[in-house]
Amino acid sequence: MSREIPQDNPVLIDRLRQPESCRQAFNEVMREYSEPLYWQIRRMVENHDDAADVLQNTFLKAWQNIENFRGEAKLSTWLYKIALNESITFLARERKRLSVSIDDEETHLVNQIEADEWVDGDELAIRLRKAVASLPEKQRMVFNMKYYDDMKYERMSEILGTSVGALKASYHLAVKKIEKILGE
Amino acid sequence: MMDMKDKDSNILDTIGHRDGMTVPEGFFEDFARRMEGLLPENPDAEQTRVLAPKTVWERIRPFVYMAAMFAGIWCMLKMFTLMSTSPVDLSIDNNKILTEALSDDNFIYDNFIDEINQNEIFDEMYDDSIGVDDFMEMDSLMQSPMN
Repeated sequence: MSREIPQDNPVLIDRLRQPESCRQAFNEVMREYSEPLYWQIRRMVENHDDAADVLQNTFLKAWQNIENFRGEAKLSTWLYKIALNESITFLARERKRLSVSIDDEETHLVNQIEADEWVDGDELAIRLRKAVASLPEKQRMVFNMKYYDDMKYERMSEILGTSVGALKASYHLAVKKIEKILGE
Repeated sequence: MMDMKDKDSNILDTIGHRDGMTVPEGFFEDFARRMEGLLPENPDAEQTRVLAPKTVWERIRPFVYMAAMFAGIWCMLKMFTLMSTSPVDLSIDNNKILTEALSDDNFIYDNFIDEINQNEIFDEMYDDSIGVDDFMEMDSLMQSPMN
């Protein structure tokens, strides 16, 4: 397992479509994709336990809707979309539960980062996470995918449904904001 | 002009794409194993579907619907054509009975002339400066033998 997004495996996708092999194939999908999806989710929700819950919901949702996945889109793209949607839904639910407005999301996320037990003690990296928490939700997704995963804009475009030009502009603005925050 | 290149700042370069996050030992292996047991039954995906043979009606139904649709369109077009090319004809020229009746002098005298009041004729003649003397003159002319 690794943080890298695995290449779509046509044999695995074909097995997903067969009723007799789809459960076994989905177990393999979970083994292959749990780590890259986990890191995407973790960078959005900023807490290990929450990320584990959202990852679980992501796979349950994917399993429930496996009939809708016909192999037209890439398997990884489909799973990323579900994972990001689940992350956003989770954050919105948390805001509602804690009565936090979207403007105070940054404070909530910074608190989550500070309370996170599962960190390696890299102070600079934590400063960067706090700076990223100040970005709007979509810009945060773009920054995470590009900076941490070095994902290609074309791939990001497929997942987020945004044009490559807009993604480049969004990343550029995110970098400028983070530079400014870290430079203060 | 805005530089759109993806140049990370020096600070970002120094951090070197690290996020400082960790997970408990063996988390992903445990997670995948735990999830295998959590997956509920999914009959839609896991059961092979046996398709029942189609009945005659199920087979011809699309064609019947299509024929009905074309018939409906034809009726609609026909109705629009009738509405646009046959306005109500108010002309008496195309009414044979009325034309024949009006060309018959007796019909006119029987139905129209008789109903004209004689006094109205005298009034009209008076307006046209035709007096009683003119009548006398006309009578004498009509009664005198032809030369």
